[in-house]
Amino acid sequence: MPSLTSKRAQGWLVHAALATICLFALIPVATTVLISFKGERDILRKPPNLFPCDSATQPFDPSACRWSVEGYQRVLAPRPAPEGLLPIRLTGNLVSIYLPNSLLYAGATALLVMLLASMSGYAFSRYRFRGRQTLLVAILAITGIPLLTNLLALYQMGVTLRKADIPLYDDRFFLVVVYTGFFLPLSVWIAKGFFDAIPRDLEEAALIDGCSPLGALLRVSMPLALPGLMAVFLLTFVNVWNEFIAGYLLIAKNEFKPAMFGLYEFLGQNIINLQVVAAACILIALPVVVLFLFARRSFFAAMVEGAIKG
Amino acid sequence: MTQDSARRRRANKTIRSMLPFWLIFPTVAVLLAVQVYPALYTIWLSLHDRQPAGWEWVGPRNFDRLFKMGLFGESVGHTALFLVGYTSLTLLLGFFIALLLNRKLKLSGLYITLLFIPWVIADIIVGIVFRLLVVPDYGLLAGILQNPALFPPEGLSVLTASRAAAWVGDFPFPPAPAMIYLILASTWRALPFIILLLLAAMQTVSAEVIESSRIDGANSSQVVRHILVPLMLPTLVVALFSLTLSGMNGVGMVFSLTGGGPGSSTEVLSYMLYALGWRQLEFGRAAALALLIAAINWLLILGTLRVTRLEERNA
Repeated sequence: MPSLTSKRAQGWLVHAALATICLFALIPVATTVLISFKGERDILRKPPNLFPCDSATQPFDPSACRWSVEGYQRVLAPRPAPEGLLPIRLTGNLVSIYLPNSLLYAGATALLVMLLASMSGYAFSRYRFRGRQTLLVAILAITGIPLLTNLLALYQMGVTLRKADIPLYDDRFFLVVVYTGFFLPLSVWIAKGFFDAIPRDLEEAALIDGCSPLGALLRVSMPLALPGLMAVFLLTFVNVWNEFIAGYLLIAKNEFKPAMFGLYEFLGQNIINLQVVAAACILIALPVVVLFLFARRSFFAAMVEGAIKG
Repeated sequence: MTQDSARRRRANKTIRSMLPFWLIFPTVAVLLAVQVYPALYTIWLSLHDRQPAGWEWVGPRNFDRLFKMGLFGESVGHTALFLVGYTSLTLLLGFFIALLLNRKLKLSGLYITLLFIPWVIADIIVGIVFRLLVVPDYGLLAGILQNPALFPPEGLSVLTASRAAAWVGDFPFPPAPAMIYLILASTWRALPFIILLLLAAMQTVSAEVIESSRIDGANSSQVVRHILVPLMLPTLVVALFSLTLSGMNGVGMVFSLTGGGPGSSTEVLSYMLYALGWRQLEFGRAAALALLIAAINWLLILGTLRVTRLEERNA
């Protein structure tokens, strides 16, 4: 048997290893934050230095640090707004176009996916009907169609729909439906798993007490499944927020571009201004990172459920 | 009176038996419209060619022309190299880190949360983040890599160094530095998910099995080799397939990190599909390539299903 001290030493070793791994996992994030707070003068230095803190005499002098928010200023483009509630107004495309669009696409898709997945997940979990097994397998098989390979056809469909001049229709509508279709199949399976975990007895008791099937669904099962459905919502939201290629190819108008599209354009326009690109990256990634930190349990539950199925 | 209530009961019963249909109908409708129809449309596209007058039926000629492209063979090589490097590195590191986390640790929740941050960041942002580090002359890592003392003769520039001459035929080996860097960046982003997956599987292996084997005198590496790996094999295969799928279909990282370059040294099949379709506007040939990629996806999904079925039967 290993002695107590060697066990304790082993424990410390594991902690040291894990702390080092976490450090490595976060270094790219940390360097991006550092870059975003540098001024142009420190970005264009050869050789580059990690902190913009060297002085004439010392390689690192905390009092000589030249932190700058120039990158953020150029992304956000604040203008004085004397009449508004706030003294300044942010006029950069990121704030006025790209982020609101991403919020719209991710929010609308996540809501639709949650609604449709909870409806069909419930039906698959609670009813035995003809073709149930076939449909379930078909839905699982559809997860095998990659978004990438469908894009040529989706692009052609988008062009046709745009030409058809349907009233109230625009690319935004099409993109949300495409995203919904893409993230739905796995969500159906995840939702089914969550409903399977709720005992049927509860609903049967409600039915015996005179509740209608729909009432049993809405009053008994839904509240119990809500944490699971919330997980589906969050996972879909983050996936859509982070998706690039479909938004890039299916959106034609500037005012409908999502954040990742805008970011890709920033990259092309600021080949040397690394601080601008870094600031844009951080502003776009921050919302979902914060969302994840607040709701990480929910994410893990949905991912484990989804990973086992898909 | 009684007739009336009977009718109502019958109506109720029809509604009840129709309920699952109405619950599932919207899902099926959406999936038919934006998954099944485009998939069939892609098959149609792959058999046609765009002419000024419209689409012309060309049969299997698109496939023929695709296979004859020099870039196609090269892209297959790049994709194979990328997938081998990406999946093996991610699985090895993921298994090792899951092993470290698979014990009663005070801070394991904190570690998992910190390790998971890369997963929440979009692939295109990860590509940019890693690109910023190696921008020639100004990137933080470039400062180290371009040092001729460390990388003779003239230092290493990830984004511009081209590939060395191939060792065997046309197969793109040894890979360009940009390809190795692309693999590292992709691994960085995929690792958290794999850690979570493997950790979940590891925790289902009962502690008693491991404890009793330890009493029988097995050391740590024997426990891993003879107990953990065989018991976790289905999960490892699922992880391998899911990594292969994400690696083959993910294009955002290539877009923002290398743009397929330098030269064509990181041009993988997914990027080639984009370039064929939207740069050269060769939709027919691109659709042929899309079908090939989709076919590989299907094979992998079928493989995953087989493995998970086996797992269920054994459980």
